[in-house]
Amino acid sequence: MDKMLLGRYINGESLIHHLDPRGKLFLSFYFIVIVFLCNNWETYVLMAAMVMLFVKLSDISLGFFIKGVRPLIWLILFTVLLQIFFSSGGQVFWHFGPFTITDQGLINGVFVFCRFVLIIFMSTLLTLTTTPIEISDGLESLLKPLTKIKVPVYEIALMLSIALRFVPTLMDETTKIMNAQRARGVNFGEGNLLKQIKSVIPLLIPLFVSSFNRAEDLATAMEARGYHGGEGRTKYREQEWRKNDTLAVILFIALTGALIFLRN
Amino acid sequence: MVKSIHIEKLNYVYQSGTPFSRRALTDVSLDIKTGSYTAIIGHTGSGKSTLLQHLNGLLKPTSGSLTVAGNHITSETKNKELNELRHHVGFVFQFPEAQLFEETVLKDIAFAPKNFGKSDEEAEQVAAKMATLVGLPDSVLDSSPFELSGGQMRRVAIAGVLAMEPQILVLDEPTAGLDPKGRLEMMEMFEQLHQEQHLTIILVTHQMNDVANYADHVVVMENGGLIANSTPERVFSDPDWLHKHHLGLPQTTAFAAKLAKQGVPFETLPLTEKQLAEKLAELMPQSGGELHG
Amino acid sequence: MVVPFVYAFNILNLYFFMFRIMVLLILKTKFERERTMDGIIDIKDLCFRYSQENEKLDLSHVDLHVNEGEWLAVIGHNGSGKSTLAKAIDGLIEPESGEIFVDGQKLTEESLWNIRKKIGMVFQNPDNQFVGADVEGDVAFGLENQGIEREEMHIRVKEALQVVNMQDFAKHEPVRLSGGQKQRVAIAGVLALRPKIVIFDESTSMLDPEGRMQIISLIKQMNREEGFTVISITHDIDEASLADRVVVVDDGKIMGDSLPEELFQKGNELIDLGLDVPYPQRLKFELNKRGIQTPSEYMDEGSMVNWLSRSILKN
Repeated sequence: MDKMLLGRYINGESLIHHLDPRGKLFLSFYFIVIVFLCNNWETYVLMAAMVMLFVKLSDISLGFFIKGVRPLIWLILFTVLLQIFFSSGGQVFWHFGPFTITDQGLINGVFVFCRFVLIIFMSTLLTLTTTPIEISDGLESLLKPLTKIKVPVYEIALMLSIALRFVPTLMDETTKIMNAQRARGVNFGEGNLLKQIKSVIPLLIPLFVSSFNRAEDLATAMEARGYHGGEGRTKYREQEWRKNDTLAVILFIALTGALIFLRN
Repeated sequence: MVKSIHIEKLNYVYQSGTPFSRRALTDVSLDIKTGSYTAIIGHTGSGKSTLLQHLNGLLKPTSGSLTVAGNHITSETKNKELNELRHHVGFVFQFPEAQLFEETVLKDIAFAPKNFGKSDEEAEQVAAKMATLVGLPDSVLDSSPFELSGGQMRRVAIAGVLAMEPQILVLDEPTAGLDPKGRLEMMEMFEQLHQEQHLTIILVTHQMNDVANYADHVVVMENGGLIANSTPERVFSDPDWLHKHHLGLPQTTAFAAKLAKQGVPFETLPLTEKQLAEKLAELMPQSGGELHG
Repeated sequence: MVVPFVYAFNILNLYFFMFRIMVLLILKTKFERERTMDGIIDIKDLCFRYSQENEKLDLSHVDLHVNEGEWLAVIGHNGSGKSTLAKAIDGLIEPESGEIFVDGQKLTEESLWNIRKKIGMVFQNPDNQFVGADVEGDVAFGLENQGIEREEMHIRVKEALQVVNMQDFAKHEPVRLSGGQKQRVAIAGVLALRPKIVIFDESTSMLDPEGRMQIISLIKQMNREEGFTVISITHDIDEASLADRVVVVDDGKIMGDSLPEELFQKGNELIDLGLDVPYPQRLKFELNKRGIQTPSEYMDEGSMVNWLSRSILKN
């Protein structure tokens, strides 16, 4: 679940690892927006070169990024095929009912593929180089303005960080209970759907019971350590905006300029 | 000698073939006799739980093989065949009360036998029998397991494992978190099962006193391998070796070692207070002795 | 395949878990009353029940006095009410009647947060009290709650981790720590807050022998060298034997208040009170059965070894 929710953080000391998470979060999001400015080979090549530069700077092997694409490959291929079959314009290679394959369609297909890969690489870069807790802290500061309209941003961020910290614990718990029920003769993942759903009940109930108890213990422990709401709390972890973060922002501004200049 | 468990050159690697692969067991070979009471000791991470999970087919060897209650298991064994094995091996996990889920105590105890093919009626009969065996009063059978005290919940969980009527009972720190009275009662209960039902018992524990009091065989694990496989007398006869491997002594043995340092002669260090008292009674001047030295 | 099910349920479970904590934190305990007293903790005629439907009181007319700098052990079998007592002192549960004074201040709704600053608590389950994402983050949690400045926090976190000898683990996540290490982090979290009183609620019961001994020696150091008042709720004979005084709780009532050595003479009765029988006591019992008379006063291991070797070797 760890992997599914947020990717996997890889410890490192690279330039990218040390960027401020607020900046990283914002720029990753911004990148997704400007990918949509791309509409020709030049712009895609420029973006791809950028992403490859970041991957290089992160000191993380390309394999981890490619792994990030794999779970989404069917979705990507489906979208690419839609593009190929349903785009019009340019020379027609093949035609059948509503389906047409044109050179423009093929090019669009490749572009869509590139767009997906670029976006996935960039978000994978974020999760590979930023710990979940940094992401949660970054989100908290980015969403701070929302406290003005009474959104409990601090509380939500704290709950998110606690939930993240408990992900491995709950996963362990799941494995433990699955093993215990297997030992009592449950076969997970065998038989028809109804049987499979039924086999999950002996897993689900103990999990709820245990997280119920955990939550109770944890709330008591937090209260005993003086937690009484987000008000008046200070923060131990520091987010420091350094020169590199400003440089990254400037780079992205320049990139936007170049994209606008290069696109048709 | 009848072997209940025969393990040969067992190796296990977690997430084998990935960058995260980690070797957990190295060339483990071990025989366990039917009707014996074996204690497995070692630190967290020594490979104890990985080995235990093999006994129950929760893990399959990466290489090597094991035979448990007549079922031969290698890396090739199909998952379906493991079910047969599980039928014969009862596994009491650490904090087993976490596995309870049914509406009533009786239904929860009857869960495993039903899974292994008993009719509802048969299963509930066995369940009622096992509830008595672990010392649960009849009055709780129809209540929810979640309404019981921690100690009673543990008994329900153990009864739920015994209800499979296994030949081999694997206990992973069964007394953790109980108060001293609960611990004592629980260990006595297993001893009774061992004596009366002739169950083969495998106990993983940090409590050296329990090893001394109940086990007839000790296996010591470290870094995924066996470093000793012998009787409690032999293993506990060498306090320095145990100390080197960060393992403790039973209280009696530790106490006797202190006496030995003062010059009290022991041929072998005793394991239980009964043995020590026996020995001291021999050594004392005359029965009666002298008060206040 | 069942894996997607498991993922889905786990995510569901995680939301449920977050929701549950939020609800629990919003429900705060309420108190009223005040006055001052002498001991660091004074409890007068305290009664409590978990649910109005319970006929029996879970704490029944408890009177307890704890001196400053003392190490008080509270023993009792599971379900005797000893942990409830600890929670009451920290205002984590609301008593039905009676009064609690901590460091001269009466526990009321107003004084609650002030009193909690004076008390640190270490609980039983190492996993369920680790709030931070990593070790230093967890130690800092209580400091953040008190609104301490960041520079000061860094100093205190470092100091506290040094005391419990976990300074090399500052950046470790809880998954990579043993139970004993997590408990040491919990203690560091308490130390960083500089309370006067530390309550250990069965803090050693889920640990392996090595972790257990480390925590016990830390408690000893905190009490003897650093002057903390310690209340330890325990089943552990080693822990109880180090205390200055032992209180026995049974059925929500205080049934005894004695020096450890007085209590340990009870022998097999101790098992019913929720404590192991000290080893010398067990040995004496076996010797007596074999017709050997032993001194009637309580002997610890050292004096028992001396007595035995003298009796044996003198002829």
